[in-house]
Amino acid sequence: MSDFLLELGKNPNARKMIKQLGLPVPMPQDLARAGGPWEERPLAEQQAVVGVGPNAALQGYVAETLARAGADPWLVGEGHDGALWKAPGEAYGRPAKPLASPVPDRFLANALVFDGSGLESPADLKRVYEFFHPLVGRLARCGRAVVLARPHRAAESPAAAATQRALEGFVRSLAKEIGRRGATAHVVYVDEGAEGRVPALLRYLLSERSAFVSGQPFHVTMEAAKGGGTDEEVPYTRPLEKKVALVTGAARGIGAATARLLAAEGAHVVCLDRPQDDGPLSQVAREIDGAVLLQDVSAPDAPERIANELREKHGGVDVVVHNAGVTRDKTLAKMSEERWGQTIDINLAAVIRIDEALTDGRVLHDGGRIVCLSSVAGIAGNMGQTNYAASKAGIIGYVEALAPTLAGRGITVNAVAPGFIETRLTNAIPVMIREVGRRLSNLGQGGLPRDIGDLVVFLASPGSQGLTGRIVRACGGAFIGA
Amino acid sequence: MSGIGKRRAVVVGGVRTPFVKAFGKLLKADTIALGESAVGNLLQRFDVDRKEIDGVVWGGVILPGLAPNVGREIVLDLSLPHSVEAHTVTRACASGLQAVTSAVNEIERGDADVMIAGGSDSTSNAEIKLPQKVVHAMAPLAFGKATPGDVLGVMSQLVPLNEILPKRPKIAERTTGQVMGEAAEEMARRNEVPRTEQDEFAVRSHHRAAAAVRSGRFDREVAPVDLPNGDRVHADDLIRADTSVEKLARLRPVFAKDGTLTAGNSSPLTDGAAAVLLMSEEKAKALGYTPLAAFRSWSYVGVDPADQLLMGPAIAMPQALDRAGMTLADADLVDMHEAFAAQVLSVLRMLASRAFAETRLGRSEAVGEVDPARLNVHGGSVAIGHPFGATGARMVTTMAHELAERDVETALLGICAAGGLGAGAVLERVS
Repeated sequence: MSDFLLELGKNPNARKMIKQLGLPVPMPQDLARAGGPWEERPLAEQQAVVGVGPNAALQGYVAETLARAGADPWLVGEGHDGALWKAPGEAYGRPAKPLASPVPDRFLANALVFDGSGLESPADLKRVYEFFHPLVGRLARCGRAVVLARPHRAAESPAAAATQRALEGFVRSLAKEIGRRGATAHVVYVDEGAEGRVPALLRYLLSERSAFVSGQPFHVTMEAAKGGGTDEEVPYTRPLEKKVALVTGAARGIGAATARLLAAEGAHVVCLDRPQDDGPLSQVAREIDGAVLLQDVSAPDAPERIANELREKHGGVDVVVHNAGVTRDKTLAKMSEERWGQTIDINLAAVIRIDEALTDGRVLHDGGRIVCLSSVAGIAGNMGQTNYAASKAGIIGYVEALAPTLAGRGITVNAVAPGFIETRLTNAIPVMIREVGRRLSNLGQGGLPRDIGDLVVFLASPGSQGLTGRIVRACGGAFIGA
Repeated sequence: MSGIGKRRAVVVGGVRTPFVKAFGKLLKADTIALGESAVGNLLQRFDVDRKEIDGVVWGGVILPGLAPNVGREIVLDLSLPHSVEAHTVTRACASGLQAVTSAVNEIERGDADVMIAGGSDSTSNAEIKLPQKVVHAMAPLAFGKATPGDVLGVMSQLVPLNEILPKRPKIAERTTGQVMGEAAEEMARRNEVPRTEQDEFAVRSHHRAAAAVRSGRFDREVAPVDLPNGDRVHADDLIRADTSVEKLARLRPVFAKDGTLTAGNSSPLTDGAAAVLLMSEEKAKALGYTPLAAFRSWSYVGVDPADQLLMGPAIAMPQALDRAGMTLADADLVDMHEAFAAQVLSVLRMLASRAFAETRLGRSEAVGEVDPARLNVHGGSVAIGHPFGATGARMVTTMAHELAERDVETALLGICAAGGLGAGAVLERVS
């Protein structure tokens, strides 16, 4: 499962030589990934440069997020509200300082954050250019760029809507330009009134835990209410303390990585897989002090058994991760009915049946989380995967429709759409096709199972309350299906 | 904490050795010898009946590897009755205060009536250790008969050479590797404390300490150390009466190239000891002593060493005030250990910040500004010196005397310590 070019690129001499020889070989950047559980200050010692547009309404949340996460904030341009920056700087010992213009030699930014929430006309977009243009070359390896914006559908004028929507195109392109350095860019659209839900997402996006998420728009809303609309203090360390999480397909790959990461944040994880995977599943469960649930998700009695088990042995469940899935690839003409039926049933129908059992009986607690696994194939389609892509596209529709029905109980429903992930599954793909899959992305490499796990943990955490009914791609910015 | 009917421990008095520059006049006195000197002089000055002493609690940071229970060694060397039990505590630079509050606890629980508490450290006598790799490699030679093969085996394990050379001891955090001065440098940057302000603070510390020496104010607290060769060390030798902001401005930063911390605005490596005599209030009265002070409260806290290592007092001091049922404005005196001028000034900024109070202390108002006239009235560790284990006991001694001297009610103490620890305490006058 090793990526030869990535390994080669880790050798500075080889890297230099290939560059000097001008070989047309992509040298993907080894992505910085966090070790250990969530930290109080994931951005410690990082340099974060912040710019704002006119009437920037979100800068206070940016100030708070950066200082609390341990980053050193640098301000460029005009429009910063001094009072908003002073208090968090003082409280956390991270005073915001003006960044000299031109940018001092050797200054490297780990994060570039722009508050574009107040941009109203296409002319205002110049502020975006003015901020990023001199700094994009100063973005450190594996750096982050985040633009904060308002949803264009809620804009007061067509011009304002155009301006806000333009930011998505900007960010998607920027992500492609900086991807070779392992850096990523995102835009976060924030509903009026949902500002308080921004810090947790911003903290996640700026951290090393979003390493393989690139070029994505996020929408933060108050849709999923909790505690009557006022959010309590979001925990930034051990966010899943005292929570029970169910992970299906936990014996290996993405499921096992996710189970481990959930457990590392304090969750008691119920690891579910087929009875024939008892060996590896028990090993994972033992490692993380979790529980084992041997169950074929597509069995007719599975929903009831799972619901009963969770209710009786664990007092219900807080986080449900529908990771179990299969591929039964064949071009449509050659595909047997069995292949079709199995894939649709396991990947889609079983998910719906299990959720029904868990929500009807209130086994899933209020404020809970449902995280489904979709796929980039479900967005873009894939040769030989009519069945798989149908099931994964079905997940998208399902998540979008289920979310509003559970929002009143504070439950969020989201899907993660992995791109090329280095697993047993993808390792079996013929080498040329595999190479194409890996390289045709912003980051020029495949992701690791833990990259998906990191995103699932965020979506499972209390801080993700603002995201529901969303499909988040963890694909390294795959060129397909964008 | 001083409710009616509750046993109260009182500070009867305290004595310290002169605080002397490391590798100087006290080179030949190790931490045990320094402790002996302080405790011996304390017993002599207060004419304590040795049979009345219940125990000794001693604080130390650089403990002797072969005799880490320094307190007991002091008892035995001074030929105190064998019944005087002793233990040794270590809480980095708060060790001295820890020893005192532990002794107070014992008295207030009713476990003891007369206790001696204090601390000592001799930076000059820090042990240089063989790397563990050498120790482990040598084990076959040390236990049983070694064959030539064993010897060769040991030799082969001892390369490369740089891994087996003893390392110079340094005051660095074990978890982060950050040297204390670097941490303070970082705090100066994070809290925007300029060099001039640090130098001014340091000069004030020196001038105040020099004035205390000149006026004889320290005489009752400092007792000489007799060395084995017959020499006698009488006086503190780190305080500079003639220093000035201009002089300090000439010093080069030591912890960072473009830094602000210098030898002038940091506490120096120091040898010394301090001891405090504590009794239950009834016992003190029965024995005819006039108590000086008692503890109204104390607090020990921990913060993340990787954040702002020496910010502990900004959390511990407000907590101690809360426990004493007071506000900062109620404290007549404030005494803070000066590890670095930058660290004290950073903590003062935190105490004065409403934003800090809201996020770190969960309260809506700032703890408050500390009036410079009430802060470290006789200087602090930057001027006087800082034998790690002794500083807490020195501060308790000076403040206990000062409460009586000024006829005021309360003194707030604050100490920062390695490992992200902080200590705060409120002393009240007993009359």
